[in-house]
Amino acid sequence: MRRTVTGLRAWLLQRATAVYMLVFLIFFLLHFILDRPRSYAAWHGWMSAPGVSIAACVFFAALLLHAWVGVRDVFMDYVRPAALRVCALALLFLGLSATAAWVLRIFLVRSG
Amino acid sequence: MKLSISRYNPERDEKPYMQDYEIAPGPQDRMLLDVILRLKAQDDSLTIRKSCREGVCGSDAININGRNGLACITKIADLKEPVVLRPLPSFPIIRDLVVDMTGFFKQYHSIKPYLINDDPAPERERLQSPAQRELLNGSYECILCACCTSQCPSFWWNPDKFVGPAGLLQAHRFIVDSRDQARQERLDDLNDAYRLFRCRTIMNCTEVCPKGLAPSRAIEQIRLLMVTDFL
Repeated sequence: MRRTVTGLRAWLLQRATAVYMLVFLIFFLLHFILDRPRSYAAWHGWMSAPGVSIAACVFFAALLLHAWVGVRDVFMDYVRPAALRVCALALLFLGLSATAAWVLRIFLVRSG
Repeated sequence: MKLSISRYNPERDEKPYMQDYEIAPGPQDRMLLDVILRLKAQDDSLTIRKSCREGVCGSDAININGRNGLACITKIADLKEPVVLRPLPSFPIIRDLVVDMTGFFKQYHSIKPYLINDDPAPERERLQSPAQRELLNGSYECILCACCTSQCPSFWWNPDKFVGPAGLLQAHRFIVDSRDQARQERLDDLNDAYRLFRCRTIMNCTEVCPKGLAPSRAIEQIRLLMVTDFL
């Protein structure tokens, strides 16, 4: 068994995360169209419900994984010098990690 | 008929340049290759590769008005003038419209384009049912002209690592062959970051194939087989 996320695994991950994000976004938009929160408290209450907050957390995890696989693919195609590619991937990893930390902070601080 | 043809003589020219021609097609000239050969009779320095002149050998694949095709089965009546002829994109040019296919065939050979079967050969032949034989349709007809691979952006970026549509179509042909015993090895060989998964489903391959084949469909089926095995 391969341990790295490459080839078929990366391809499947890319598609699975895309499907999840699509379903979540439709759910999210439908909620805003059909039952729009009237105040910040209503919005906060809805987002804090266990089901919604877990689904939103999974959405951001899917988004970050999707971005990692997708942008890494772009770098593999277009960034040829090895040193430059390592730098680009490191920057991407840092950027996505920072975004992940930010998402976590929002979820933990806001709901805590 | 007006033509603009890419010329390059490595002994004389630093880089390819376009040369304009004007020629009246003969009464029997139907295909682009007829006109090119008529031109060559006037200017014998013009170089093209050709053999069967009926779309079977795949030698005269060139880029015609921006689209890869076989000169011998491209009707001149369908072409917009001036007809711009270039060698197959991204392949190293040997001279004028003739390109170096070494890298292309290296990728083709890398998928082991032959039956792998360690059982002793039967007295007559390895039989297939009509249904098993049916699976090879759409893959075995490939003439390896390289129209698809040379039009594939994924191959342009990674010609040394990505097998390319022609090679993957052939890989599919052997993966689904009921007489082949190396199905799993073939699938494993393609399952890395580059060999198959550089395909971004751009589908230029299927768009330009002069034999009407669908390499993108074959690639999709290989992916499906991998997914089925994985799950």
